[in-house]
Amino acid sequence: MKYEHCIRCTICVENCPVLRVNPDFPGPKQSGPDAQRFRMEREKAVDEWVMLCSQCKRCEMACPCGVEPAQIILKAQQRYGLQHPRTLAYLLFANNYYLSALGSLTAPIANTIASTAIGKKIFRAMGIATYIPFPKFRFRTLHNKKKNLSRSTRKVAFFYGCFINFYRPDIGRKIIQLLTSFNIDVVLPPQWCCGLPALGNGNLALARSFAEKNAASLSNYIDAGYDVVYTCTSCGLCLLHDYPGILEIPQGKKIAENSYDLYEYIVKLIDEGHIDPQFREVRRKLAYHIPCHLRALGIGYPATKIMAMIPGLEYEILDDTCCGLNGSYGFKKTNESTAVQLGNRAVSLIRKTGAEAIVADCGSCRMQLAGLSGLTALDPAEIVSESLGITDQK
Amino acid sequence: MIKTDVIIIGGGATGCGIARDLALRGIPHCLVEKGDFAAGATGACHGLLHSGSRYVVSDPIAAKECYDENIILRKIGEKCVEQTGGLFVRLPGDSKLYRERFLRSCEEIGIPAEVISSTKALDLVPNLNPEIEEAIKVPDCSIDPFRLCMLNIATSQRRDGIIFIRHKVTEIVKSHGHCIGVKATDQVTGDIREIRGNVIVNATGAWSHLVASLAGNEVPLTLSKGSIVITNHRLTNMVINRLRPPSDGDIVVPNEAVCLAGTTSLMVEDPDKSRIESTEVDTIISEAGRMIPHFNNTRIIRAFSGVRPLLKSQKSDSREISRGFQIINHENGMYSIVGGKLTTFRLMAEKMVDTIMNYYGLKTPCATAEKPLDGQEELSGYPLSKRLADMKNIVCECELVTRQEVERIIKQTGTRYVGDIQHRTRLGMGPCQGGFCTFRALGIMHEKSIISPEQSMSALRDFLQRRFRGIRYCLWGDQLREEQLVEYIYLGILAMEKPQ
Amino acid sequence: MSVIEYDVIIIGAGVTGFTAGTRLAERGLKVAVVTTGEPTACLSTGCIDVCNGDHNPLHGVTHLPEEHPFHLISQAAIREALDNFANAMTDMGIPYIGTPEENRRILSALGTYKTTCMVPVTMQAAPQNADDDIHIITFSGLKDFYPSYIISRRKNASFSTYDAGVSTTMGIAANFEREDFLETFIPWLGKLNIREDKIAFPAVLGLESAAKIVKKIEDRLKRAVFEIPTIPPSMPGRRLFNALKDYFRKKGGTIYWAWPVAGVEKTGKIIEAVVTESEGRPNSLNARAFVLATGSFVGGGLHAQRDTIVEKVFNLPVHVPGLRETWFDNDYFSFNHGIGKAGIIVDSSFRPVGSAWENIFVCGGILANTEILKSGCGHGLALATGYAAAKSCAEYIR
Repeated sequence: MKYEHCIRCTICVENCPVLRVNPDFPGPKQSGPDAQRFRMEREKAVDEWVMLCSQCKRCEMACPCGVEPAQIILKAQQRYGLQHPRTLAYLLFANNYYLSALGSLTAPIANTIASTAIGKKIFRAMGIATYIPFPKFRFRTLHNKKKNLSRSTRKVAFFYGCFINFYRPDIGRKIIQLLTSFNIDVVLPPQWCCGLPALGNGNLALARSFAEKNAASLSNYIDAGYDVVYTCTSCGLCLLHDYPGILEIPQGKKIAENSYDLYEYIVKLIDEGHIDPQFREVRRKLAYHIPCHLRALGIGYPATKIMAMIPGLEYEILDDTCCGLNGSYGFKKTNESTAVQLGNRAVSLIRKTGAEAIVADCGSCRMQLAGLSGLTALDPAEIVSESLGITDQK
Repeated sequence: MIKTDVIIIGGGATGCGIARDLALRGIPHCLVEKGDFAAGATGACHGLLHSGSRYVVSDPIAAKECYDENIILRKIGEKCVEQTGGLFVRLPGDSKLYRERFLRSCEEIGIPAEVISSTKALDLVPNLNPEIEEAIKVPDCSIDPFRLCMLNIATSQRRDGIIFIRHKVTEIVKSHGHCIGVKATDQVTGDIREIRGNVIVNATGAWSHLVASLAGNEVPLTLSKGSIVITNHRLTNMVINRLRPPSDGDIVVPNEAVCLAGTTSLMVEDPDKSRIESTEVDTIISEAGRMIPHFNNTRIIRAFSGVRPLLKSQKSDSREISRGFQIINHENGMYSIVGGKLTTFRLMAEKMVDTIMNYYGLKTPCATAEKPLDGQEELSGYPLSKRLADMKNIVCECELVTRQEVERIIKQTGTRYVGDIQHRTRLGMGPCQGGFCTFRALGIMHEKSIISPEQSMSALRDFLQRRFRGIRYCLWGDQLREEQLVEYIYLGILAMEKPQ
Repeated sequence: MSVIEYDVIIIGAGVTGFTAGTRLAERGLKVAVVTTGEPTACLSTGCIDVCNGDHNPLHGVTHLPEEHPFHLISQAAIREALDNFANAMTDMGIPYIGTPEENRRILSALGTYKTTCMVPVTMQAAPQNADDDIHIITFSGLKDFYPSYIISRRKNASFSTYDAGVSTTMGIAANFEREDFLETFIPWLGKLNIREDKIAFPAVLGLESAAKIVKKIEDRLKRAVFEIPTIPPSMPGRRLFNALKDYFRKKGGTIYWAWPVAGVEKTGKIIEAVVTESEGRPNSLNARAFVLATGSFVGGGLHAQRDTIVEKVFNLPVHVPGLRETWFDNDYFSFNHGIGKAGIIVDSSFRPVGSAWENIFVCGGILANTEILKSGCGHGLALATGYAAAKSCAEYIR
């Protein structure tokens, strides 16, 4: 009954990006601890506005009393979703994994359709926003990649996530190269969508089914001495927070304790003396946009520790704003205005830094900020790889 | 000078019920109340509409009365009575003999009482002590007592009843030893109003003896203080009672978005000077905690006491005195109606008005049991979760009170008291106890130009003082944290000065 | 468990914590701030109260009760702390004005005056008495601000309402950051043909650019403009917090958000590390010294149980002013009541009295006998004690 601790200070309200731009969203305090006093388990859910929460978790990071408003709202979203029919856009995004698999299988055709005017019209009719281009599917996903084998006592099971797998497998390959160059045995365990898109689109059961499969697979590797490494911060949050939490996965705690963010892992390798990377100069001025879910992971910003070691690299941390896309949230037409306004604000703060490019751990943030600003958005792994001379070996 | 037939002194449930009954029977009347409605025991009780089972062993007559009224109120108050149901829980060690008598008595009287297993009870109310042996399900209900008074008064107002609140009766006017009217002082302006009537009904509860004495009459009263604590949120959706002879702290009632737990019973002398004490708070929490363990860790947002008017008796424990009521004919144009419970207010009113009608040889029958309460169309009704449908324009975010509601009350009553808005809408009754919304409500009053800066500053100060009395004894943990924040807001950000 | 090493760990990300952290970071120490959530400062008026008891706050400080922690700090040190603060805020784009020798006033949302020492430049033009004519601008639907409070208290005040498209404090402030919004708003303002000398706004004139926005409006309308702080959410409090946070980072500090301290590791009289919770694994933050700046009850530094008051990070002994019945007086307006005295008592080095720890320094609202409302010393005390405790801590490390 964490909502009991709420002292109505409104610090969560001060932090909520959606409340700032969408007058229909009552904000985390009203949607969470205030409304919870009126929610009754056996009664009909009438709080449709609760779906407007993007689950960025900024309210939870800011709350001084441990109320966890986003979690209260997440449960209310699931309850509402169960009782009311979901629109097409929600159904599609919940099943993003399958659709992306299909898209990558038919990549050239799928990409062409998605970029035409008629394709965009169809999307809009389905309730999907088209204010930024859809990410391009890649035919050669990581599923198809032959696994590298190397002999080492350090073993990593790489949880690459849907974004890398279907849209940017090249980054995935770089990461595998990077870890391999550190004498680490990298394995690509059987894996599915982490489940967050399903959870975020009101389909708890689908999220749980993905989670159960992933948990079984990763659990085997953990038991065999592997560390799980993830690179998408939203996948990470789902694995660490939702698997033991709302998805009630029995192995959830084990997975949370044995999963590492890529940069957190690299820092750990350096601290433990396993590697001593010689970072070469990368002369760039970057704006490091911190993804909301990275903040929520509670690991600090480990990529900054690595970037601080790269000579010539200038970066400024921007962690006050949400980019607005929030995974599939901004791609739903009902949230388009919210996503665009938040994105534009994030872009204006980036421009103020005078940076030549953006760096962000989350693919969704990169899509949004690049799409709205015209600047290049890089994964930190691309900078790190460049500095260490790792190239994509096709 | 106002001329009417019946003058009712006292705006609690009884007085308001009498006003409604008279209105429906077409009898001109005028109600005078020294504070706001429900200022006495009515506003300081659990808000429990008994199924009667609480008294089924000790006072079967009262129990039957309660049950009959319970059915009537559920019918006429569809949107204002929450049909929560109730459980009598038996903990290890509680007398099985009491249980037997309880069930037998319920059966004799006709109160539906269903024995359910502890598993079923825990399914219905997950926060119950897992060690309960069993529970008995009864048709208890809950109601907001202020709202009950409002709805009764609505009938009177719609049929030309005259209502004066904030008017204290200071003199009973007599002619040849017979009561012919009252003089009441407007507590705001100091003006004196004179009202003439043929009958005076003294429905002033714990002040009955004081008002009666203004006419040289006597009402033998025992005053018993009862205290209640209010929790931050609903720990139960059903009324929880302890299956044992009535004692301290053995009722928990869900009411709107909170729970009321209590009560205690201490004899007192002065109805105006009863204050809750720290020890009472601790007692209630510990007793309620036996039925709902979370009580020991939960947040209490308010603690207050009220005074029960009981007919004087020789018995020392005031619980033993019958809760039944009595109508006293003082034989000089005044009646006093004393005792009773919230649940039987309508019956009390009916009997009182019947008495008056008989005296005057009038035959119009009572209609209060058939006609639905007026004014319910403005309520959102139950279940509570209905109110989450629209979150726009909310002034009190804890209790979901909209700006439109506040403006409506201001328009209807022209009041300058935040307390009046609070009673009629529940503004400021949530966890922050008016921390934010008081500022907003007074601000709206300012916008409607009905208040001067001196009035609003003094209204705000008064409100904060009065509010503080209700929360002073429950300040620890989260509530103390809350209170420090509210203090920073009023004394820091809003820079309220210390009163001179 | 991940192990992280610093010279000093500061627990608490409020005015006190960031002030101490910045001072230590400026001296080249490796500093991190660790916090459960955001601080009380986010809700404040943003003004720096030093001591309301006297027209000259520095003088007023000398007359505070003898247990008041201000007496642990020299006048020169208080001055230095305030100067440093003013410079930092100018650097971060939210300049403050005021001098520690003279209190000033701002107008509250009730129309009363709040006495304070340093104010953000957006409140510089606030009227100091009843003489100024003011025109108040409010925004449709903004439920946290009512110009009528002020108008009913002043002879020459009137107001106008603008529809900003959104009605929350944060929403309107976010809109003011947009060029297109300003360029529609300012002409509207111009067309009002305001006759009064000053224009007042609820404090919604932007998120970080408020000083610039106020200046822009002043230049175009050729009138003084000032903000009035609102009940929370509070923009001036937010701006203060953001500026202190970014300045700390600029000086090389690191911040760990939402890391509640769950335990400590110690050897003898030295705390070696605090252990914090996080989603995956607990983190152990090792440091040579620790600064406790977790605030009073609202901030979460002190916890009142039913019969006592505790401090939960290091379990330091807390000065409790008596039994629970004595914590609060009957009179609501007795300002802080008895409980305002509760907190940690420290010696002149800001180490907690009655505890054996060598390397813990305590500052800010968590200190005993602060009686913040009664003395009128909120953020001023935070700045001064944060500064002084940092100095003491730095000396210890050397």
